[in-house]
Amino acid sequence: MPLRIGVLGAGFAGAMHAHSALRIDGVQVAAVAALPLDQAAALAKECGARVASAEEICAADDIDLVVVATPTHLHAQYAILAATSGKHVFCEKPLARTLADAQAMVRACDDAGVALAVGHVVRYFKEYQRAKQLLDDGTLGRPAIATLVRGNFAVGSAREWYLDAAKSGGVVLDLMLHDLDTVRWWFGEPSRVYARRFTGSGGLEYALATIRYEDRPIVQVEASWAEHAGFRTGYELRGDRGMLVHDSRAASPIALQSPAGPAGPAMMATPTLHETPYLVQLRDVIARIARGDRPLVDGHEGLRTLALGLAVIRSADTGEVVDWKAPA
Amino acid sequence: MTKQLRVGLVSFAHVHAPSLAATLGALEQVEFTGIHDDDEKRGRAAASAHGTTWHPTLEGLLRASEAIVIASTNADHRRYTEAAAKARVHVLCEKPLATTTADAKAMIAACRSATVQLGTAFPVRGSPAVMALKEAIAAGALGRIRAVRATNPGQYPGSWFGDKRLAGGGAAMDHTVHAADAIRWLLADEFARVHAELGSFIYGLEVEDCGVLTCDLAGGAFASIDCSWSRPQTFPTWGGVTLHVVGEKATVDIDVFRQALTHYDDTAGRTRLLGWGDDLTARMVADFVDAILAGRPVPITGEDGLHALEVAIAAYRSSESGRPVAITDLRA
Repeated sequence: MPLRIGVLGAGFAGAMHAHSALRIDGVQVAAVAALPLDQAAALAKECGARVASAEEICAADDIDLVVVATPTHLHAQYAILAATSGKHVFCEKPLARTLADAQAMVRACDDAGVALAVGHVVRYFKEYQRAKQLLDDGTLGRPAIATLVRGNFAVGSAREWYLDAAKSGGVVLDLMLHDLDTVRWWFGEPSRVYARRFTGSGGLEYALATIRYEDRPIVQVEASWAEHAGFRTGYELRGDRGMLVHDSRAASPIALQSPAGPAGPAMMATPTLHETPYLVQLRDVIARIARGDRPLVDGHEGLRTLALGLAVIRSADTGEVVDWKAPA
Repeated sequence: MTKQLRVGLVSFAHVHAPSLAATLGALEQVEFTGIHDDDEKRGRAAASAHGTTWHPTLEGLLRASEAIVIASTNADHRRYTEAAAKARVHVLCEKPLATTTADAKAMIAACRSATVQLGTAFPVRGSPAVMALKEAIAAGALGRIRAVRATNPGQYPGSWFGDKRLAGGGAAMDHTVHAADAIRWLLADEFARVHAELGSFIYGLEVEDCGVLTCDLAGGAFASIDCSWSRPQTFPTWGGVTLHVVGEKATVDIDVFRQALTHYDDTAGRTRLLGWGDDLTARMVADFVDAILAGRPVPITGEDGLHALEVAIAAYRSSESGRPVAITDLRA
């Protein structure tokens, strides 16, 4: 009997998870939902799945796992609906737009005895896993100072909900949250946060946060929707025995140029790994559910990372240092 | 024949002293009058290495010079500057201008009352890339500037740089001011508020070796400065200066010392970057000398040095209090 998945949302994340599921043995995409519903048609067809509303998917008898890849502010209502119908939940990050929503989701899943996995996919990126390993095995020594950067072009008006901070949480909850989760994963729980950010027109947004641990390290995190050349990630990680540097712009094993310029037709795929971190993530989420294990990033963990993101926003809004303690 | 200015070099304590001496020896508009150093052995060796005169007394060097370049420890900047002002000699002082704002103000006042000019050594302003950015910002090509992320990380310079009494602090005192000056100049704005996290994590020093400052400018932009001595001993070069500038119309990245060859050196058993960009020290000294010769104000003044120093001093206050510090609170 295959594990049957219902995907809520047919945007970037929904499509990524659905396509990943097609490559996992023993997994079937049974249904896809979107708002409006017809936007799910193309993705559903690719997956051999039916189009159904999110409410139907959450209640359906033939769904085992609901992938919540809707706009952020809708995560809670669908995750709770799915959990109360006994479905396992795999929710995109951020877990929710507010801490109260996130707490309600965690409670609902715990009460229903279903898994709640959160899509902090950077934990499945090899270049970030390697840093964790070199920290843990002592190769880098004690961490002293780290900088993590992540940027993308401004989304413009293409995805309206992104630009509405009340729905997405802006560049901090959408983009910086990846690195805030990484910082927690690498170094544990920090003690205080200071941040600044600005919002311009057309989706331009930029934020800087300094995360301080009680003793060490000092961590600076940059998140930018003003990286007009496109997506990039990077870090510099200095321990007292060495330094590790990652720059995504210097890490692609293949580059294509044509007389048509960057706007020219795509003539070939430019794969950099046989399996994307999204595929590895989904396979791990499903395997752990099948074994009855907790997800690598469960609801409690996703909630703590969300809380750190909200602390960054609070500091940026008030201009004051925010002392931070992880929620239980 | 080119008009020349008689310029001496005071002290060889600073890591920049050799390049300053080489510059004074090479510029055609400079007559290099020689070197004085409190450390006679170091000073004599430097004078001999650079083919110039050794002056056993400061007074002797000042008598022979119309201007001096000070490359002493930070704590000695004030007394050398005051002696030069008294002798009616212009001063180009290494950064940071002083270790306290009181010292910096006294230096500015001494030079003003002696009607000599005081310059601060901020070579980054002379980078062709930084100058191009300055023009682009002034022309509005980037739109309104909203944020800057600057870094000036380096290897630990050793010697007195880790001695709080002589240096006035650690990495924050050493490396904040270059970026702070570049940001002030590029944005034509002043720092208003400074938050800093500092720590001594790598070398076991009494002073900080790591630091990140996050600052508000009076005009509404914000800027961060990584001033850390974070470059490992195996790093292929001393460090660097970068600026990530985010405007409403464009984003610019500058890596001031990016023009470098990678040298895989089997003899030394390591890899090094060999910079081939313009000589920023030579340009900075030439700009100072040309202004004095022409009777113009020097391009980077003592006030510029003071304002950059205020950012570093505010960083220490912020680190001690755990809160952002207003620059005006330093002046109260």
